Amino acid sequence: MQHTDHILVVDDDREIRTGVVDYLRKNGLRADAAVDGRDMLAQLDTSAFDLIVLDIMMPGDDGLVLCRTLRGGKHRAIPIVLLTARDDETDRIIGLEMGADDYVVKPFSPRELLARIKAVIRRTRMLPPNLRITESTPMLAFGRWRLDTTARHLLDENDTIVPLSGAEFRLLRVFLDHPQRVLSRDQLLNLTQGRDAELFDRSIDLLVSRLRTRLEDTAKDQSYIKTVRSEGYVFSMSVSVHGNDA
Amino acid sequence: MSTRWLPRSMASRLYLIMLAGLMLAQGLSLALLLYERTASATTMMYNTVEHDVGTSVAVLDRLPAQERPRWLARLQRDNYDYVLGAGQPGTPLLAKRSREVVRRIAKEVGPDYHVRGEAIPGDAHRYQVHFTLHDGSPLTLDVTPQIMPIAKWLPFVLALEVLLLLLCTWLAVRLATRPLTRLANAVETMEPTADGPRMSEEGPVEVAQAAVAFNTMQERIRRHLKERLHILASISHDLQTPITRMRLRAEALDESESRQKILGDLHAMEHLVREGVAYARTAHGGAETPVRMEVGAFLESLVFDYQDIGKPASLVTTIHGAALVRQQALRRVLGNLIDNAIKYGGAAEVSAWRDEQGALCIAVSDRGPGIPAEELEQVLQPFYRLEASRNRDTGGAGLGLAIAAQLARAMGGHLTLANRDGGGLIATLALP
Repeated sequence: MQHTDHILVVDDDREIRTGVVDYLRKNGLRADAAVDGRDMLAQLDTSAFDLIVLDIMMPGDDGLVLCRTLRGGKHRAIPIVLLTARDDETDRIIGLEMGADDYVVKPFSPRELLARIKAVIRRTRMLPPNLRITESTPMLAFGRWRLDTTARHLLDENDTIVPLSGAEFRLLRVFLDHPQRVLSRDQLLNLTQGRDAELFDRSIDLLVSRLRTRLEDTAKDQSYIKTVRSEGYVFSMSVSVHGNDA
Repeated sequence: MSTRWLPRSMASRLYLIMLAGLMLAQGLSLALLLYERTASATTMMYNTVEHDVGTSVAVLDRLPAQERPRWLARLQRDNYDYVLGAGQPGTPLLAKRSREVVRRIAKEVGPDYHVRGEAIPGDAHRYQVHFTLHDGSPLTLDVTPQIMPIAKWLPFVLALEVLLLLLCTWLAVRLATRPLTRLANAVETMEPTADGPRMSEEGPVEVAQAAVAFNTMQERIRRHLKERLHILASISHDLQTPITRMRLRAEALDESESRQKILGDLHAMEHLVREGVAYARTAHGGAETPVRMEVGAFLESLVFDYQDIGKPASLVTTIHGAALVRQQALRRVLGNLIDNAIKYGGAAEVSAWRDEQGALCIAVSDRGPGIPAEELEQVLQPFYRLEASRNRDTGGAGLGLAIAAQLARAMGGHLTLANRDGGGLIATLALP
């Protein structure tokens, strides 16, 4: 029997809670609701969840506090999608630093939320278990570069920020999460597709070439991303995990 | 205007007026002093010369003719001396003062001496008085009137005085105009949304009062703006939850035309709310710390993000190298401009360069209908909509450009809109 993802929706607003739960159920997921942090922890003890949708603005312990509590406890491996009322980079970064996997800004469309939920589940499932838990989101260092996975940009040895497009970041993240492993175009496509947009096979090649430009990984001595003929690509450099201290 | 000849700046005007006044006063008193001196000297001469001359003439008259030359040196004065003989031939005496002197001398010595005054031709002041002594020999009084010489140090003292005056005037003018300049600068740099510097409330009473008034006004404006933004932010923020609820409710409805319409309206409301929150927030846009960032990579990633979701954005010209920028603010400004270009112009072209002053310039242009020249400024105002083409149906809250302009200001730069040759709009962000 195929596994149906089980989602826990934590929001103090009854209508949003039930609305989201209904929508998720209608779209083939199992979903339950919790009114606050205590309710959430109680439910987590009694049944298994694949993902938690957590509202930030709640009376009592807010979403950020709960997020940190979860990351420090036995449910640390469950991915979290935050619901925030504030569309602000700093709030997003705080959320991600507290250990959330993604966030959706209110007012959101349920469709968008569903897409994010699916993307996060897919991504965490593909990750090797040792990288699945991201307590404080680390810096991934390789060669002369560091990837800030929270702010989603590269830093060179002089701490100059080199921004990445969303697709470039996702692709690089996939490479860094699977170093020294040959990844086929299909795998890369599957792992990088956050949304349901359709990209062609070729677009992976295009993305890889952009990423090489960004990493100054030029033609002759491709020291970062190597092409494996008729198979795909491999990230050939070792990756080390740093704290957020830069 | 009659003041056209006056210099433009108040400092120079004050300077000019004060200096002119002081110099005039100084000149007047100097003239008065000189006049006094001359007058008293003249009076003294008038009163003494006739007695002196009378005595001298009487002495010479009574001396034996051979002894007279020895006495001449003793009778000589600064202004006149005696010559034994008829003197030089002259012309009738015309000067009033000289005639008066001659008249008085004649009266003093008496008619026996046949006194007669004559001017020396070619010498304006010099004249001679001729006497005939009792023994018949002629005697001539040679008069060279001179004003008492002015002391050598006087010009230096005068120059020093003028210098002192210049200095004092300059100090006074500076004292008066400096606070004005400071006030003007403070008004100029006042940033009503940020916590700008307060004016120093020190100095002379009037200046301190003006500074206090300015600070109070600044505070009031700031509070007023804050309140307005707070209202905007609160309304926008508090609408988020109900809109989310309505969305969920609408999604739960069966597929129908009215459901689609509700969803469409909700989408528009969502957009408005998001922009409202963003506008209120960007008013305090100075908070973000600038970071060193590779500009070329930034622009490429921005454009690629659009391309990756199938939107027509392209990078035409770019620059490379790191710059110190407020990344999130910059991203939002350019995002808004690109969104607009795509919405109204169909496609967005991004280009970047450095101008002559080294300022980073990033332009977003389109080939859309452009904006009427008289509205180019106004569209940067919040909620301003163009009458002609950009009505509410095309979406947008009318805040995108206002947010962009506000953030550009917060970044210390500015945003300008212009119509392109050949149609379309170009929005240029210049960052110092």
